[in-house]
Amino acid sequence: MSSATPSPTHTLSRLATLTPPSNSRTWQSAPHPSLPIVATACSDRSVRVYSLTSFTLLHSITGGHKRSVRTVSWKPHTKGQSVLATGSFDSSAGIWRREESGPGLENDFTNQRRGDGDEEDEADDYQFSCILDGHESEIKCLSWSPSGQYLATCSRDKSVWIWEELEDDNFETVAVLQDHDGDVKCVGWHPEEDLLVSASYDDTVRLWREDQDDWVQVAMINGHDRTVWWAEFEASGMGKRDFRREGKELSEEQTRHVEGLERSGPRLATCSDDCTVRVWRRKAKERDDQASSNTGIPSIIRSVAIDEDWYQEAVLPQVHERAIYSVSWSRITGMIASAGSDGKIIVYKERWREGDKAEVDEAATQSSTEWVVVAELFSAHDVFEINHVSWARRADKGKRSDDEEVVLSTGDDGEVRVWTLDEGVMSH
Amino acid sequence: MSYLAEVLASVPQKVLSLQQRNLLCDFTLSRTEDAEGLGSCAKALLALEELGKWDDQQVVGIVETLLTNTHPLRQFKQQSERYPVLRLIDTLMAKYRKALRTHHESTPDFMARFISYFDGEKDPRNLMVVFSILRVPMTEWSIGADAQELFDAVFNYFPITFRPPPDDPYGITAQDLKDRLRDCISSTADFAPYAFPALLDKLDSTSMNTKRDVLSTITAAVTEYGPRTVSLYAITLWDALKFEVLNVQEEDLAQEALAGLAAIARTLSQGTPASLNAYLKPIMKECNEHLEDAPTKQSQASARFLHKIADVSPEVTNILLAGVLPNLFLLFQTADTMAKRRGLLEVLVQLIRANIDVYGDWRTMGPGGDKVENNALAQFRDQALEVMLNGLETAPSKEVSFRLVCLDGLVQLSKARGLLSDEHVGNIIHLFHSVVIHEDSYGKDEVKEAAINGIVEIAHQKPQVVIDKAFPAFLAQLPDTDTDGPNSYSTVLEAFAKLASEEQVFDTVMLRLKNKFSAAVKQGASSEYIVALLSAMLYALNKGANKLAQHSETSNYYRDIALPLIQRASSSDADHPTAFNDERTLDLVGRICNLIIRSQPTEQQNSVTTELYTLFRSTPQAELPPFNINATEANKTMIVSTHLLASFRKDTTLPSELQFLVSSLANFAQQPSLSLPIRSASLRQMSLVINKYYTSTALKTCMDPLIADIDLLNPDKLDPPRIRIIFACLKGIVLRSSPALNTLYPTILSLLSHTKYGSTVAQGFTTLLQPDDLLTKDNHCQILGLHKHKSFALLVPSITKAFREADPETKPNYLIALSGVLRWMPFDIVVEEVGQLVTLLLQSLDLASVDSVKEAAIGTLTSTLLEKPEVLEEHTGALISRLLANATVTKDRPAPPPGVRVAALKCLHLVAEKSKEDNIIRYRREVVRRLVAALDDRKREVRSAAVKCRAKWLDADEPDDD
Amino acid sequence: MEIDKDNANPTILNPSDLPSRRRESHVKRRDEGGSGLFDDLVPRCSYLSDPFDAPVSTSDPDDDAREDIDEQEIYDLISTICDPEHPLSLGSLSVVNLPDIRILQPTSPLSSISTVAVEITPTITHCSLATVIGLGVRVRLEQALPPRFRVDVRIKKGTHSTDEQVNKQLGDKERVAAALENGTLMGVLRKMLATCE
Repeated sequence: MSSATPSPTHTLSRLATLTPPSNSRTWQSAPHPSLPIVATACSDRSVRVYSLTSFTLLHSITGGHKRSVRTVSWKPHTKGQSVLATGSFDSSAGIWRREESGPGLENDFTNQRRGDGDEEDEADDYQFSCILDGHESEIKCLSWSPSGQYLATCSRDKSVWIWEELEDDNFETVAVLQDHDGDVKCVGWHPEEDLLVSASYDDTVRLWREDQDDWVQVAMINGHDRTVWWAEFEASGMGKRDFRREGKELSEEQTRHVEGLERSGPRLATCSDDCTVRVWRRKAKERDDQASSNTGIPSIIRSVAIDEDWYQEAVLPQVHERAIYSVSWSRITGMIASAGSDGKIIVYKERWREGDKAEVDEAATQSSTEWVVVAELFSAHDVFEINHVSWARRADKGKRSDDEEVVLSTGDDGEVRVWTLDEGVMSH
Repeated sequence: MSYLAEVLASVPQKVLSLQQRNLLCDFTLSRTEDAEGLGSCAKALLALEELGKWDDQQVVGIVETLLTNTHPLRQFKQQSERYPVLRLIDTLMAKYRKALRTHHESTPDFMARFISYFDGEKDPRNLMVVFSILRVPMTEWSIGADAQELFDAVFNYFPITFRPPPDDPYGITAQDLKDRLRDCISSTADFAPYAFPALLDKLDSTSMNTKRDVLSTITAAVTEYGPRTVSLYAITLWDALKFEVLNVQEEDLAQEALAGLAAIARTLSQGTPASLNAYLKPIMKECNEHLEDAPTKQSQASARFLHKIADVSPEVTNILLAGVLPNLFLLFQTADTMAKRRGLLEVLVQLIRANIDVYGDWRTMGPGGDKVENNALAQFRDQALEVMLNGLETAPSKEVSFRLVCLDGLVQLSKARGLLSDEHVGNIIHLFHSVVIHEDSYGKDEVKEAAINGIVEIAHQKPQVVIDKAFPAFLAQLPDTDTDGPNSYSTVLEAFAKLASEEQVFDTVMLRLKNKFSAAVKQGASSEYIVALLSAMLYALNKGANKLAQHSETSNYYRDIALPLIQRASSSDADHPTAFNDERTLDLVGRICNLIIRSQPTEQQNSVTTELYTLFRSTPQAELPPFNINATEANKTMIVSTHLLASFRKDTTLPSELQFLVSSLANFAQQPSLSLPIRSASLRQMSLVINKYYTSTALKTCMDPLIADIDLLNPDKLDPPRIRIIFACLKGIVLRSSPALNTLYPTILSLLSHTKYGSTVAQGFTTLLQPDDLLTKDNHCQILGLHKHKSFALLVPSITKAFREADPETKPNYLIALSGVLRWMPFDIVVEEVGQLVTLLLQSLDLASVDSVKEAAIGTLTSTLLEKPEVLEEHTGALISRLLANATVTKDRPAPPPGVRVAALKCLHLVAEKSKEDNIIRYRREVVRRLVAALDDRKREVRSAAVKCRAKWLDADEPDDD
Repeated sequence: MEIDKDNANPTILNPSDLPSRRRESHVKRRDEGGSGLFDDLVPRCSYLSDPFDAPVSTSDPDDDAREDIDEQEIYDLISTICDPEHPLSLGSLSVVNLPDIRILQPTSPLSSISTVAVEITPTITHCSLATVIGLGVRVRLEQALPPRFRVDVRIKKGTHSTDEQVNKQLGDKERVAAALENGTLMGVLRKMLATCE
C-alpha cells in the first residue's frame, strides 16, 4: 500500500506516569467506561486502580489471584457501582465490585489512598464477589459485551468461554468454543452486535455469534502469518462520522465509500507477531439496505446463512520492528495506536487517497482511503517492551476539550504512562 | 531372681564349689519356664559363668533349655529382658565354640531352631549382639543346608535404615549396624548363591543410600568369598555394576562400583588364570566397543574401568593392555576426527597411569616392580610413542585438548619404570622444548605451559637427560646480547627458570643463568635483557629456596653470585652496567642477595654486615648514605643495603651504633629530594633495625631520641615526612607487640584530630599490619604470634570511642584509620567486637571517594556475613541500600571504582545467601530491580558479579502459593 | 523431577577446546612474548608502595574504558548452563556454540534496543527437552542482560524435528512469563541455572 509513508505530523508527549508504578511487569490497562479511572493488571498478582484526574493510585486489589493478573475489563452500564472482571495465569477469573457514591469519587482523588488493604474501610474497597473457574490453564484475556450481558474469556487451553450473568454473581457458561488450535490471546466484542472476535497463537482471527441459542464460528481470518496478539473493533458509527475530510466536499466516489462503510459496520483492527497491523472489513450482505441501517439491530428476515465474509481492507504502514502486542482504535478521531516489543508507540490516521488516482490504481479499487503514520515515538517506556496501548478520555485539570483523548501505554517496567497527541512535530 | 543375679554378680571367685554352681545353674534354668524374670535368669547365668567354667554338656544344656522354654525370643516384649539372654548366648558362642559346634553337627535340627530363635529382633542394641552371635556359625561351622536360612536371618535387615534417636545412651550408629551386617553377609562363600542375586536385586533401588550399602557389601563379599566362588558370579556382577559407571547417578556410587569391579579382579588374580581371563574378557569387549564412538560419556567410562582395574596387579594390567591397545591403535589410525583421537588417547593415558601405579616409576618401585621385565606395555611402547610424538608435533595448534593429551601421555611414558630409553626420553624433551620455544602462542597457551611443566616433571625422573638434552637447546636460544628485542628470549628464559623448581637440576640452572648474565654484561646487553636475566635468577632462587637453606654454609652462591652482584652495584667502573643505575634493577639485585645470604650462619653473615653500607667500596662508611646526606650519587645503593639488612640474623653486628643509625636514617629519609624507592628503602631500614636489633627494654624507648632530637610527635611540627617516620618506627615495634605501644598508640590516635594532616595520619594505620615482603620470619624478624590481637585491643575500641566524640569534619579520619586496621586483621580477632563496629563500617560506605576505605569496610562486612551473620540482621536494610549504592554507577554520584563495585556485589550476594529468607524477602524486588543497572556496567568483571548476585536474589523467591 | 534420558550417550567436548576470552594480561604481553612469569617476583604489597603517596582513590586509569557486551560474554553466560539430563554444560555438549550467537545493534539512532540472537543445537533431533533448554537459555539471558537487549532464542535450523513449534513457544513472551510462574518448571530451570560463571 502506501509504501512511501509521509513523515509524522503529530507528536506524542508524556503527560504523566501513573504513580506509584508497580515494581514488576504490568500487562494491560482498562479505562473505566464512564468514570475517570483505569485498572491495570500486574504480574505481582494484583490489580491497581489509578485516577486519570490526579494520576495517582486509588486502590490496589490484592489477594484474589495466585499468579499474574493478565487482563482486566470493566462491566459497562453499572449503576452506582463499579464491576471489574480480572483474568489470571492461575486460570481463574474474578469479579470485583465497589460502591461508587457519586461525590465519593471526588474524595477518592483528594485523599489518595494506597490500596494495601487493612487501614481502608471495607465498604470503600473493591470487594471480591465471585470466581469463575473452568479454564484449564492461564487466562489471557477477558471482555464484557457492550450490553454487559456477556463476559468472554480465553485461555492457553485453546478455548473461548462465554459467560452470561443471570443475576448478580450468578454466572452461567453459555458457550465453550474450541475451534482454535492454539492459545487464544485476545477476545473482543462488536460495539453493536453480539459478535465476538478472538485472536490466537494459531495465527488466525475468528468471529463468533449465536445461532439458535448455540454459539458458532461465523468467520475465520487468515491474513496474519504469526501469532495474532490483539483484535479490536472500530467504534460504532465511525463510518458516517467523517474525520477523513479536510474541509473539502466529498466526491461522489468518496460518498459511495462512506455509504459502503455504513453498510459493513464497524471494522476490525488486528496486530501480530508478524509486525503488521491490519484492518478488516465485513462484506455487506446482499439484502435491502434497511438491514444495515445504523440501528444495528440485525433484521428478523436475516438470511439463513449466518456466515460472514471479512476481507482485508488495509495493511497499515509497517514501522514496528518486533512483535506488535496491542492496537487501539480511537472512538473520537478514528485514529489507531499500536505498540509492542520494540518499545515504540505508533499512531496512524486514515485519509482520502490523493486526487482521482483512485480510479487508475487498482489497489485502490478496494478502498479509496489510505492509512498514514501521524506519530512515531521511540522508547516510550525507556528500553522496555510495551504490552498494551489504549485511548482514554482525558480527565485531568489540563484538558483542552471535552472529547480530548490521551493514550495509555502499559509496559514491562511496571509503569502506565499517559500521552497527549498534539499537532506538529517537535525536534528531539 | 534379679536379687539372686545381683548377689551372684557380687560373689567373689572360688566362694562357690562346682556342684553349688551347677545346682544354682539348674535352678536358674528351671526358672526360665515361667514368663517372668527371664532377663534376670540370664544375668544370673552370666554371673555364674564368670565364677567358673562350665563343661560342654552344661553349656549345650543351657542353650537347649533356652531354645525350648523361650523360643522365639521376641515373645518377650522388654528389650531389657532379651538383651541379657543375647549377651549370655554371645558369651557361650565365644567361649565354648567347640562344644556348640559339635552339638550342631550331632543335632540336625539344632541350627534351624537356633536361627529362628532370634527372629524379629528389632532393637538396634540387641541386633548388634545377634549379628555377632550368628557370625560364629557363619564363619566356623559347616552350615551347608542351613546356609540360606542363616543368610535370610541377617539379610532380612538389609538395608539398615535405622536412625539413632538424638539422645541414644548406647550411641549405636547406623554405621555400626551396617558394618556388622556387612561382615555377616561377606563372612562365608556359602552365602554367594543367595547374597549376589539378593544384592543385585536391591541395586535397582531408587534410594541412593541403599545402593551405597549394596555396593560396599558386594565389594566386601567378593573380597572375602575367594576366587573359586567369585569366578562363578564375576560376569553377572560386571553386567550389573558397570551401569553405575556408564550412567553416573552419584559420583561416590560410581567410585564404589569401580572399587567392586577392581576387587573382583584382585580376588580372581589369586585364582586360576582362566577365571581371571573369563572375567576380563567381556570388560575388554565392552570397552573396545565404546572406544568405537569416542569421545563419549561411555568412552570416558571405559577409561575409568580400565584404569581402575588395571591398577590391581601386573597380571591384570598385562591382560588389559594386550586386549585393548591393539584395537585402540587400530581405531586411532582410522579415526576421522581429532575429537575421536583425543578420546582414544585419553583411554591410553589412563592405562599408562595404571601401569605406573603397578610397576612404579624411575625413582620409586611399584608393588609389581619386580616383575617389570615382563611389562606388557613394552610391546606397545614404540607405537604409543610414535602416535603421541607425532600427534603433538603435527596437530594444528587449535587442537588444544588433543595436544594436551598427547603431552600428558608422553610425560607418563617417560615416567614409566624401565620403559623408555634415555634416547626416547630425549626425543620427548626435544619435542617439548621446541613447543615451548618455537611455537606461536595460542589461546591460553595451555600447551606451552604443559610442555614446560612436562619437562620439569621429567627432570624429576631423569635429571641428567634433561640437562644434556634440554639445557643446551634452551641456552642456544638465549643470546649473549639481545639485538632483536625481548621476543627473542622472554619465553625461553621463563621456561628455563621454571626448571629450577626441580631440585635435581636447580644448581645447573643457576650456574647457566649466572654465566649468561656475566656474558650479557660483558657484551653490553640492553638493560631490559639484564633485568630479564636477573628476574630469571631471582625466580629460580625462589623456587629452590629450600635447597639453599639446606646446605647454606657449603654452597658457593654467595661467592659466585651475591658478592659479584653487590660489587657491580656499588662500583663505578666498567663492571657497573648502566642497568644498575635503575632502582628497580637494584631492587632485584638486593632480593637475589637476600635469598642467598639470609640462610647463611651468623659468622658468615658478619663478613657482610660490616660492608652493609660500604658494599665493598673503598669509600669510608661515614661519607656514604645514610650517614652523609650529601653523597647523593650513592643514594641508590641504599636499596641494596636494605635487602642485605633484611637478610641478617638478629645476632649479627651492625657497622654502626643503633640509636645513631636510626637517627641518621630518620634525617636521611626526610630529604625532600629522595626518590620514592630510596625513601621507602631507608624508612624500611628503620623498621628492620628496630624490629631485629633492639632489646625488649631498649625497644620501650627506641623512639625517644627522635622525639628528643626532632620533637617527632609534636602536633605543631607534624608533616608527611615525620608521619612516615612515625609509622616506620611503629611498624618495627608492632610486630613485637611491645608494651611501648600502650603509650605510643594513644599519642598517634590523638593526631587523627589534626586539622591539616589528620587524614594523612589515618592513611598510615593501614601500613601497620599490612603484610610486608621484608619484615618476615624468613628474614629473622621478631614477629610475635599475638601482635595483631594486641594492636586490635589497643586501637579499635579507642577509635570507635574517639569517633563518637570527634567533630564532623575529622570523623572520616577515624573511619579511614579503622578500615586501615581492620583491612589486615584476621577476622577471628575482629569477630567478637564486630557487633560494635557495624554502624561505623556502614558509615564508611557513605564516605565519598575514599575507595580503599570502602573496600576494607566491605571486606570486613563480608567476613562478618560469613562468620557471624546474626550481628548484621538488624542492619540488613541499611546494609543492602549502601551496598547497592556502591555497586551501581549513577549520574548523581562519582562512580566507585570497579574493584569496589565488584566487592559490593559479592557482599550483596552473600547477604542473600546468609540471611534468613523472611529477613530479606521484602527487599527482593527492590534489589533485583536496582541491580539491573549493574548488569549494564562498563566493566565485564562487574557485570559478571552482578549476574551472580542478581541470580541469587531472584532465587530468594516469594513463597509459591500453589 | 526425574527425567528419563533421550540421549544416554552424548558426545562431550573437552573444556580446553571451548571458546574462551584471552586473559587481558596475555593479549597485552603478546607483543614482547613471554607470559609475565616474572611479573609477580616483587610482591603486590611491596615495601616500595607508599600509602602516603598512593592516591586516596584506588580507581585505575582505564576505569572508564567500556568493555562492551560481546558474543563471547553471551557465550560465557549460557555455555555454563547445566544440561537437564546430564551433569554437563551446554557448552561441552556443544548445544550452544559461539558462532551461533549474534548481537544486533539498534536499527535506528533513535532506538537504544539491541538484539541477541542465539541458535541452540539439541544433542539429538528428537530431544524432548529442547524447549526446556531453550527456555533456560532465554531465562538466563533475560536475567543476566540489561533490558535494552531483546533475546531471541531459536533452535538451529534442521537440528530438531519440531523446531518450528519450539521456536514459536520460545518466542512467545506470554508463555515464557507464565512458565516462570510454574513451580515445577522453575525447579528444573533452577537446577540448570545453578551454575553461572
